[in-house]
Formats: sequence, structure tokens, C-alpha cells
Amino acid sequence: MNAVEIQHVTKTFGPVTAVDDLSLNVPKGSVYGFIGPNGSGKTTTLRMIMSILLPDSGTIRVLDEDNAAAYTDRIGYLPEERGLYGKMRVRDLLRFYASLKDGRDVKREVDRWLEKLDLTAWADKKVEALSKGMSQKVQFIASVVHRPDLLILDEPFTGLDPVNTDLLQQVVLELQAEGATVIFSTHDMNVAETMCDFIFMIFKGRKVLDGTLTAIQDQYGTDTVRVRIEGEPRALHDLPGVEHITDRGQVQELRIAAGRDSQQLLAAIMSRARVRSFELARPSLHEIFVRIAGPGAEEASNA
Amino acid sequence: MRKTLLVAVRDYNAAVRTKGFLIGLLLVPMLMGGGIGVMALFEKRVDTRDRRIKVVDHTGLIAPTLVEAAKRRNQSEIYDKQRNRQVQPRYLVEVVPPNDTDPQALRLALSDQVRSGELSGFLEIGKDAINPGDDAEAARIAYHAENSVFDNARNWVVGPLNERIQSIRIEASGLDESTVRRLTRWMPVEPLGLTKVDEATGKVQDAERNSPLQVILPVYALVILMFVLIMAAVNPLAHSILEEKIHRITEVLLGSVRPFQLMVGKLLGAIGVSITMVAIYAAAGLVTARHLELSSSVPYHALPWLIAYGVAALFMFGAMFLAVGSACNDLKESQSLMMPLWLCALSPMFLWFPVMQEPTRSFATWLSLFPPWTPMLMLVRIASPVTIPAWQPWVGLVGVALFTVASVWAAGRIFRVGILMQGKAPRISEILRWALRG
Repeated sequence: MNAVEIQHVTKTFGPVTAVDDLSLNVPKGSVYGFIGPNGSGKTTTLRMIMSILLPDSGTIRVLDEDNAAAYTDRIGYLPEERGLYGKMRVRDLLRFYASLKDGRDVKREVDRWLEKLDLTAWADKKVEALSKGMSQKVQFIASVVHRPDLLILDEPFTGLDPVNTDLLQQVVLELQAEGATVIFSTHDMNVAETMCDFIFMIFKGRKVLDGTLTAIQDQYGTDTVRVRIEGEPRALHDLPGVEHITDRGQVQELRIAAGRDSQQLLAAIMSRARVRSFELARPSLHEIFVRIAGPGAEEASNA
Repeated sequence: MRKTLLVAVRDYNAAVRTKGFLIGLLLVPMLMGGGIGVMALFEKRVDTRDRRIKVVDHTGLIAPTLVEAAKRRNQSEIYDKQRNRQVQPRYLVEVVPPNDTDPQALRLALSDQVRSGELSGFLEIGKDAINPGDDAEAARIAYHAENSVFDNARNWVVGPLNERIQSIRIEASGLDESTVRRLTRWMPVEPLGLTKVDEATGKVQDAERNSPLQVILPVYALVILMFVLIMAAVNPLAHSILEEKIHRITEVLLGSVRPFQLMVGKLLGAIGVSITMVAIYAAAGLVTARHLELSSSVPYHALPWLIAYGVAALFMFGAMFLAVGSACNDLKESQSLMMPLWLCALSPMFLWFPVMQEPTRSFATWLSLFPPWTPMLMLVRIASPVTIPAWQPWVGLVGVALFTVASVWAAGRIFRVGILMQGKAPRISEILRWALRG
């Protein structure tokens, strides 16, 4: 059973194709991470799921409904940039947003969430008096207070301190445990790796990754070596069978060409420098992201 | 509809429950009445210091009369008897013998006295002033002062001066002055309304006397009410949608409501604010009219039209401003894009007076049937004392209703695209394309 089914959806803005023939299924009860560089089509896709934007072609089915009016109130949405009325009091604002979603027990739910996110003391303050982190928590409450079946969060953890990040992550996982489906976009690959059941990457409007983290990493195999050597990292330059080196300070990350033997590589390195550690690894999501969307990938795709 | 009303109620409360609303409520009549008030204030605050005026009379026959006339005026015409205080300056007229050998030297000397503040001005009466001949210079009567155009002394002196000249002329002709005065007496024409039958008694009533104020004031009040009605809605509306767009509030709202619901909700909220404001003014106006016993001048028959046209105008202009506001990304952009709308909305403010003066002229008829201007100009024609054909307000109303529906429909299409548009400012041609193609 899927919470969201996107079939061959294309959306253009004038000459720009923001989303190009996208198909995607988001299973019910899952946490689905949307990643991709800025301007790749993430927000457009999220807005189409919300039916704020309509696709030029293709179909989108949400919570087993084709008609947006039937599911709008069952979705919670936290946009990338915070949208709060600065002059309203926190409690009134949350009640207003919850009423717009046809929320039940609005007053009680608002107070419960304020308490849960430690904002009760600020309930009667104007929104403009809140710090950035507190505003973000208020915005988060606005997206969950009506108990949505589908929660769409666009960059939910940006700008939060570690304590509040942990708090909101915990709440998201609780909502999932209660049966909600969560879609969130993020630039933080660690968060995507640790929280998401599935990861979807969009680049230049097209789907480039879709699946579990393991399945995605399996596509790339064990082609990464993390090496620590004594002396200058320059000693690793121009090694045979190495496609790319990423300097991470203390550690050098080497990508081995397909079909090359890692033992031969180790021998080659040892002939140049003393090796402190040598680890065979799968590429991280960060590494995969950069391979797809980094400057090298641009050059490769342009060549 | 529930969501639309929620948006409307929030916007209404956000606007009305602020200090800004109260300030606006006081500010509008202050600005509108301010001009009139300041003028009235200045009129009352007349400089009552003595004005010394010297008269150089080359005829030798007029100046003494002016001295006497000034004395009479100083005794009886410059006091507010009810409040028992002086409200006009005294004119102290002195006679100066002419200098026939060098008149320019005398003029210069007197001018210097004016410059030094010793004198307010001086009057020079040419020797042929009583019976002007070909010599224009000799017949001239001139009043010299630093600001002779606006000097009240010059206006005053015209009366006694001409009266004296006429008397001398009549005396010279051998006629009886009282007969001549009686024969040449000017008669005023009174402005009266039309006689009508009193429906209660069946008797023919006397026509009412119309003063310009009685005619202009009610029409002006209606024009101002309509102006405030439109302004109080469209300006905050355009700003609020722009602010919500800049702060990304619209994106959150659009997660819950359709763009058209949002637009109509905001429109209803602003219309509510505007109607609240105008209702307060109208009530205050009616109470004041009753207090000043001017109730008979209130054009009650025009009030239903004010409401009908007002509501239509609010939807029409509100939707247009909202659409343009939604397409902009900052205040500067919105100001330049809204300029044509402002011109369209405010043009009737420059046209209402000629329309009121001759409401049945084809110029007035056609202007009042142009839908964006109908609410104000048709109202002016209805409220004017002249009866206009009964079908015209109805045709105007149908035109406005159709135009309003079209405006809201087009605005909805612009709003849907514009509200999510970020980045560069749209051109007017682009906005029109959104309206036509969606």
C-alpha cells in the first residue's frame, strides 16, 4: 500500500523543466528522504504532492485519493522557509492553522504540542518575539497538530541546535510509529542515512536514486578505500587504478576503478609511504551525492 | 466556504484589533477634513493689527470719503458682536497731498514706508478717475502693497471708492441720486428647488431654497465615503498579500486552502474592515447631520446605491489589487505595477465635480457607465438634485456586477500563478497572459 503514487509526472515553468517524467511510490508508514542539489526539483515535487502545483502531465495519487480536496486536510506540511504571522500570538496562530486543516480538539491538541515541545511559556507571546529555533518548532507544531496521515517536511532540521534537532527527529519517528507516512527533504546526508527507510534523489528534474540505503550502496559496490598514511598525501597522487581522491584531512578517500584489486593498490601505496590504516568501505550517501551532482559529475556529463 | 471564512475572520481581526485601525479611523477624516479645516482656521485667524493706508488723491474729491468710510467700518464692521471681540483689522486711512512735479519720488517714498512696515499700502487715484478719457495713466486707480493681489484692503476700498465716484457723476449730471440708485438696483436670483406634493397632506409644498453647500456637501460626503470604502480595503489588502508572500505564509496557507479560497477569504476580510470603517463614518455623519438640523439634505435615496455600488467596487478593485500584489516580490515592484490601478481607481475623484454640476450631460452619462467609475460617478449623479433617467443606475449596476465577476475571475487566475512566483518581477503583459490563459 502506498501513501503517494507518482506516475510519469512532468512539470515545466516556461522553458525550464523542473520535474521530468518522474515516477515514485512512497509506501505507507515509511520515512522517505528526498535529497538533491538546490534547484533540482525537490520542492516542486513536494508542492505537486500537496497539489499546490499541478503537473503538466502524469498523475499523482495521495492517500488513495485522486482528488486533492479529499486529502488536503490529511497532510501536514512544513515549508522550507518559515511562514508565520509575526503579529499573532503563538497559541492563536496554531489554532488558526489547525482549524484550516479541519483539526479536531484543536485547543487541547495545540496545548499538548506546546507542552511537548517546551513552548508553553511562549504560548501567549507574539510570534515575532520568538527566536529562529523556537519559530521553527512552532511551524513544526502547525504541520502536525491536526494528526496528519502524511507529513511533508521541507528541510525540517536546518537552523536547529543539536538538542532541538534530536527532539524533532524523535517526534518524527514517534509519528511514524503511530502510522504516519513521512516525506522530508534534507541536505544533511547523515540525517537521511540514519532516519530514512527509503531515499530518493532528484537531479536536474530526473530521478537518479530511489531505494533503501543498502540497495543504493549496493549499486556502487565496495569501491571506496579510506587510507591514512604518514607524510604528505601527495604520495597518493597518480596511483594506478584510482579514479578519484577526496582529501578529508587526516583520511584520504580513494575510489577504485572497476575490476581493480584492492590488494594491489595497498601494495602500491606501501611502496610510496608508511600506511597507518587501510579500510575497504561502501561509499557514503554524501559520497554518492557528490559523485552524481558534484563538479566532476557535471564535467563527466558534459563531456 | 468554511476555510474561506476562517481566512476572512483572521484577516478582519488582524486588521481591526490593532492601534493602526483606530489611528486610521481618525486619520482619514483628519486628512479629508484637514484641508477645509486649515482653510477655515486661517480664515478665522485674521491678523487684526491696525492697517495704515495712505491715499494720494489727484481728484481731491474721493479721499475724504474713504477716510469717513474707514471710520464707519472700524466702528461697526470689524467686531464679532456675539463673542464681543475684534475679528478684522482697523483700516487707518490718511490723505497725502499729491506731488505733481515728481510723482515717482512720492511713490518711491511711500513704497519705502511700506517696506519698512510703517504702512500697509497706499492708494493713488488718477486725476481723470471720475470721468476717464483717453489718457489711461491719468484715469488709473492703483493700490500699491507688497502683496497687493491678496490684500483685503484693496477689496474693501473698491466699494466706497466706486460709490463715491458714482455719486459725483450723478450729481454732475443733475439727476436725483436716490432715483438713480433705485433704477439701477441689482436683483439677486434665488436658487430654489422644485415644488412637490406632500404625500401625507396632499398639499403642494413650497420649493426649498438650495444653498451651494446644501447641494455640494452631501454629494462630497458620498464621494468621500466611497473613496474611503475603496482605499480602506485595497491598500491594506495589497500590502498584506505581499507581506504574506514575502514571509512565505501563503505557502503554508496553500497547504490547506485553494488559491481561490485564499483570495476570496482575504477579499472578504478586507471588505469587512472597510465596511466597518465606513459604517462608523456614515453613522457619525448622520448623527452630525441631525445635530446640525441638516437631515433634510441627507440624500437617503442614494444610500442603498452607496451600499450596492460600494460592495461591487470593493470586490472589483480588491480583486485587482490582490492579483497584482500576489504577482510582486517586494514593495517597490508592487508600487510601480499598481500605478495604473491607482489611476483607474482615483480618476473619478477629479471628475465628480463637473459630473455633479451637469449630471444629465452625455459626458457625465457615459463616464458614469464605465464600470470602474460607475460606483463613484453614478452615485454622484444619483445624489445630485437633478433627476437622472431611472434606468441608468440599474444599467450601471448590471455593468459593474458583470465587470466585477470578470475581475474576480481574472484575478483568481493571476493569483494562482503569481502567488507562488518568486524572483523577477512580472511584466504587465505577463500578468495579462496569466489572466487570459491561466
